[in-house]
Amino acid sequence: MALLEITGASVQFGGLTAVNEVSFQAEPGEVRALIGPNGAGKTSLFKAIAGEEPLSAGTIRFQGAPIHDLTPHEISARGVRRTFQNGGLFGELTALENILAGLHTRIPSSFGGLLLGTRAAKTAEKNGTRKARALLEMMGIPHVADQWARDLSGGQQRMVEIVRALATDPPLLLLDEPAVGLAPPARAELMKIIRRLVEEENIAVILIEHAIEFVMTVCDTLMVLNNGELIAEGPPEEVRRNREVLEAYLGR
Amino acid sequence: MKLTRSVFWLLPIAALALPLLVNPYHQYVVNLILVYVVVGVGFNIVVGNLGQLAFSNVAFFGIGAYASAIFTTQLGIPWWLTVIPAGVVGAIAGCAASIPALRGVRLFYLAIMTLAFGELMRWSYIRTPALTGGSMGLTVPPAELFGWVLESETQKFYVFLVIVVVIVVAVSRILESRIGRAFLSIKNDERAAAAMAVPTGRYFVLAFALSGFVVGIGGSMYAALVGHLSPEAFDLVQLILHFAIIMVGGLGSLVGSILGAVLITATPELFRDWPGFEELMFGIVIVIVILFLPRGLASLLARVHPIFKDRYLRED
Repeated sequence: MALLEITGASVQFGGLTAVNEVSFQAEPGEVRALIGPNGAGKTSLFKAIAGEEPLSAGTIRFQGAPIHDLTPHEISARGVRRTFQNGGLFGELTALENILAGLHTRIPSSFGGLLLGTRAAKTAEKNGTRKARALLEMMGIPHVADQWARDLSGGQQRMVEIVRALATDPPLLLLDEPAVGLAPPARAELMKIIRRLVEEENIAVILIEHAIEFVMTVCDTLMVLNNGELIAEGPPEEVRRNREVLEAYLGR
Repeated sequence: MKLTRSVFWLLPIAALALPLLVNPYHQYVVNLILVYVVVGVGFNIVVGNLGQLAFSNVAFFGIGAYASAIFTTQLGIPWWLTVIPAGVVGAIAGCAASIPALRGVRLFYLAIMTLAFGELMRWSYIRTPALTGGSMGLTVPPAELFGWVLESETQKFYVFLVIVVVIVVAVSRILESRIGRAFLSIKNDERAAAAMAVPTGRYFVLAFALSGFVVGIGGSMYAALVGHLSPEAFDLVQLILHFAIIMVGGLGSLVGSILGAVLITATPELFRDWPGFEELMFGIVIVIVILFLPRGLASLLARVHPIFKDRYLRED
């Protein structure tokens, strides 16, 4: 049983077919990259996996159970976490509070407990804070904990967003253009982190990216979308030589 | 000596001595300030924390006030026993007011719909004379607490002070918890909040209900304070007052709700002896504060000492 199993998935906006009968499977311990020209349907496919866009046909199963009829928060609670192409961080919260927001479902304090200030509610909040600090430490950015998210540099914001998505140890992580706006050293660092997560934590990562060199180095499987259709899927070097891909995507 | 947040307790303790220093009229104004502290704290939950342009506050305020008055006059329940039920009725109104937002209505569209809710309630107070006294209004008998009649402003002050302290502490605990973070997450980016497994719909209802509960209690206090309710007390001018309190105090700030209530309620009273000046000064104070302190009075206090820094007041 695959971790994520997409079968014949289509997404339509009125008369426009953004994703057309796409099928693939993702396994734990692999990085899949999704590339394609602008408007190819990459983000629409991501949104469909995350429950933000309904499918017009097909199914999406996660850990064996269908998730395409669930709401985004239900899908997230099951262990599919994502980052966003633009924004996504809560600018009015500190980096630490952003991670705590990511841990929302893991802080088991009841409304009554919070109201009365019970020991259990205080302990839950303390444990959450401890875990959030440990995560920032693990990612090498403990110094940003108490800074407003909106004041962080682009690279730091990306890292905090990834840490926030990882806070609940999700089996599947969707990264929407994680390398955009990052300087080469930050990209290299991000690449190392993604590889480490996949190899050590055995999670699956699916990422959308335009930076081809980054994609070629980081992924195990490369998928190419064009006009909503999956035109190639395989090891990056193999896909790179695919004639259809060269014509559609690289324009050669 | 390092100051901690426990110094905030000095404020209500010091306030205990206030009746010794003021005359009954000023005591009435102080009591009105306490009512508006509660109203500001409740209003800020939806506008400042959840970030929604929802103006159903006057509806909650009126519903709480009339609920308390009707329970007292029609059912003969002593006022103090109607405070929580008035909050509950306010919370139910809050759930109803959250429906447009749950349907995806936002910004100006939400503003106009919630304004309409307030006006609809005012129309209802006029059109149900059997319950509300219609346009003639409803006289509320003096509040009673364990056979102790709350007739003097001083007596009301002590009861109101307890209510305010309980509400400020309770709301502060909620806002500083994962629930408060969920509200702010929704305010910042609703789609990202859902992607963090925050059930955004449920938190919309919770924020509106909590706001309705708190403001409903404010309405109940108002009924006990003024002794007579009339529909025009719950019109758009009342809404402007509520909005001014949270804007002048500081959006999303508890400390701001308190400061805003003090300034906005006290300013017209200071100029009562000069007819025409009260409205003028009310406007001037709002303009000056918004112009020079766009994040409200709370941002000024935050510069004095870090403990005054409201955790959820963000300074630019």
